Amino acid sequence: MAGISFREVRHTYRPPRGKALLALEGVSLEVQDREFVALLGPSGCGKSTLLYLLGGFIPVEDGQITVGGKPVNGPSPDRGIVFQHFALFPWKTVRQNILYGLEKQGMPRAEREKRAQEFIELVHLKGFEHSYPSQLSGGMRQRVAIARTLAVEPEILLMDEPFGALDAQTRALMHEELLAIMRRAPKTVVFVTHDVREAVYLADRVAVMSARPGRIMEIVDTKLQSNARGEELLQTQEFAAKVDHLWKLVRDEAIRAQGTHE
Amino acid sequence: MSDAAALDTVTPRAGARPVFARLAAAVVRWLPLILVCAAWQIAPTIGLISPDALPPLSAVATAWWGLLTDGSLVSNGVSSMWEIVIGLGLSIVVGIGAGVLMAWYAPVDALVSPLMKSLYPMPKSALIPVMILWFGLGIGSKIASIFSGCLLPVVLSSYNGARGVDQTLIWSALGLGASRRRVLWEVVIPGALPEIMAGIRNALAISFILMVAAEFLVGQHGLGYLISFLGDGGVYDAMFAGVLTVSAFGFLADRLYLLLMQRMLRWRE
Amino acid sequence: MARVSEIDRRETMLTALRVGSGVVFFAAWQLTAMSHVFSEFLLPSVPVVAERLWHDLISGDLLYGILLTLIRTFIGFALAAVGGVALGVSIARIPLVRWFFDPLVSVGLPMPKVAFLPIFMLWFGVFDTSKVLMVAFSSIFPVIVEAWAGTQNIDKYTTWSAMSLGVSRHRFLWEIALPAALPQVFTGLQVALPIALIVDIVCEMQMGGEGMGGSIMTDMRFADSPGVFAYIVAIAIVGMVLVKVMEIVRRRLLVWHQETQTA
Repeated sequence: MAGISFREVRHTYRPPRGKALLALEGVSLEVQDREFVALLGPSGCGKSTLLYLLGGFIPVEDGQITVGGKPVNGPSPDRGIVFQHFALFPWKTVRQNILYGLEKQGMPRAEREKRAQEFIELVHLKGFEHSYPSQLSGGMRQRVAIARTLAVEPEILLMDEPFGALDAQTRALMHEELLAIMRRAPKTVVFVTHDVREAVYLADRVAVMSARPGRIMEIVDTKLQSNARGEELLQTQEFAAKVDHLWKLVRDEAIRAQGTHE
Repeated sequence: MSDAAALDTVTPRAGARPVFARLAAAVVRWLPLILVCAAWQIAPTIGLISPDALPPLSAVATAWWGLLTDGSLVSNGVSSMWEIVIGLGLSIVVGIGAGVLMAWYAPVDALVSPLMKSLYPMPKSALIPVMILWFGLGIGSKIASIFSGCLLPVVLSSYNGARGVDQTLIWSALGLGASRRRVLWEVVIPGALPEIMAGIRNALAISFILMVAAEFLVGQHGLGYLISFLGDGGVYDAMFAGVLTVSAFGFLADRLYLLLMQRMLRWRE
Repeated sequence: MARVSEIDRRETMLTALRVGSGVVFFAAWQLTAMSHVFSEFLLPSVPVVAERLWHDLISGDLLYGILLTLIRTFIGFALAAVGGVALGVSIARIPLVRWFFDPLVSVGLPMPKVAFLPIFMLWFGVFDTSKVLMVAFSSIFPVIVEAWAGTQNIDKYTTWSAMSLGVSRHRFLWEIALPAALPQVFTGLQVALPIALIVDIVCEMQMGGEGMGGSIMTDMRFADSPGVFAYIVAIAIVGMVLVKVMEIVRRRLLVWHQETQTA
């Protein structure tokens, strides 16, 4: 059981110099097991902060976050994370990056190697096992990051604008790969983005956040009924209508966010 | 970088007394130096370290005062400072000129820059004996040593700075009708200034090293000579005073230069 | 590894350019000497210096001097490297250590550390110990600064990824922090080595002993200008070789680093 529960989560950002800033204000949200939820909002609304709190990278000071009923207490391989700028270990090859988490789990050598190879092939990087991240394109690096996180088979997948650093075509390809991976081995996913179309396309539900201090304004169901896939799906009325609805919600907040930016 | 690392203390909320807090923070920050000074005083006094090897801070301070009042500190200090001013000053003028010219005129670049980059790793202190052969035992060889050691860092940083100036800036200026010469003076040199200033800071540190090293070896004037003379004569507390004085000069020169650099480069974020 | 051979090819071209530049330099030297603008004493001609170099090389004096200088330089450098990295990493990770050493390092860095030479001579005598320690004292500062910065500035997300994948607190330093800091640490070492050589030569010039610094001072005292020039050429070559060796080591060690990859 990997349901996630946020209850009245508040967070204040305290820089070493300067004023404290209220980043999140009373965020409450329930994520069901195996659900794909997108956190959508303008820059600075705190959606990444919420993700980092869930990941255990920042301590929860106010409110509660529980996973499967237990409160979050530090990072764990159960809540795998993928960052926008890949965060790969540059001194390790593709294979070594993916092996790392498996080594930490104490998996015996033969099994590790096998599992790593599986995931390298899952993200279509066969042949690049011994390349270093600096030799790979952005899209390839992100695939390594995803493989590295998935290899330890987390129950929950956290994604922090993972495709934001990629060009449009690569991003579209990555969407398809992600959906394919999710179909094979469904997980609970919390996906942060500011791209409305991406949110509607990938997610079951989208939680729209306000400008700073962030709170959940509305939760929209974006499970699409159509049987179409890929390009076709993007052209349907259903898709357009959902995007339109969300865009209106986000736009006002985006304008507000612009005004309050220091 | 050390400035940023220093203050882990919590910033007081608005309404607290910022001046007091800042003063307290400064004391906390420099406390280790105060502790070192205290140790320097206490250890030789109680015999933890032999006072012949490490005279207590009070003895050094007394000796320093003696050197100041009998004029030897001032006259030697002035001598050393002149060496640096002239040697470094020349290297700056020649260095910036050469570096920028190399960056601006391709044939000069092709000819000179491989040579310059090859000579860069040579220890400039090794040139001191040549300078002594050429310029004798007096102040001339010191100035020449400082000049030869400081020249390349200034040339290199001027060169890199000038080359690093955004091409589009240069093209815009040329497009607006400015002559190549005006572009050189009004776009390239200001653009190269940050890197040039960083190179000069480097050269400043080198100038002190060469000044001291050359004065240790030969000559009758300067702080290096003074330290060496006191050491040979066994007057160790005064010797320590001399060492501290030179070190303090080096540190102060760097700090003052840093302030100058920040003022001159204010337009840069 | 196609990329590496591309870099090697470019390096060969650059070396050729450097040699060409060197030829111009020696030609200019020789022409100036032959024009007799300066006396034979002030500027010995290239063949005279070359002959002297050759003579010292065969007699073994030159190699012996180079060896002594290099040994002292390397021992001092090694001390500075190990001590500097250990200290720099500790400063980055332990607040108390940082509090103590921050002002010491920032005051010590711009000081002309050679000024402490007479103190080292007082404490450790005029033989190798004081030279080696002086070298270490002078070259440790850039290592500390770079090791500190490299460890402190590790990408937050890389750290978090490692934590998420289950790294323990004790293994974090060896498995993540040090490899991530290595490029900057190595830069510190690359800055420190020439400093070590300079300081060692200054020590030898001051204290004697049979390294290159001592020999060049002896020749100077005997007004043996071909000898002085010969040693300068030798020292210059040694300096160049050291820097080149560090560059090669860096390329092999940091093959994964993005700078080495850009052709």
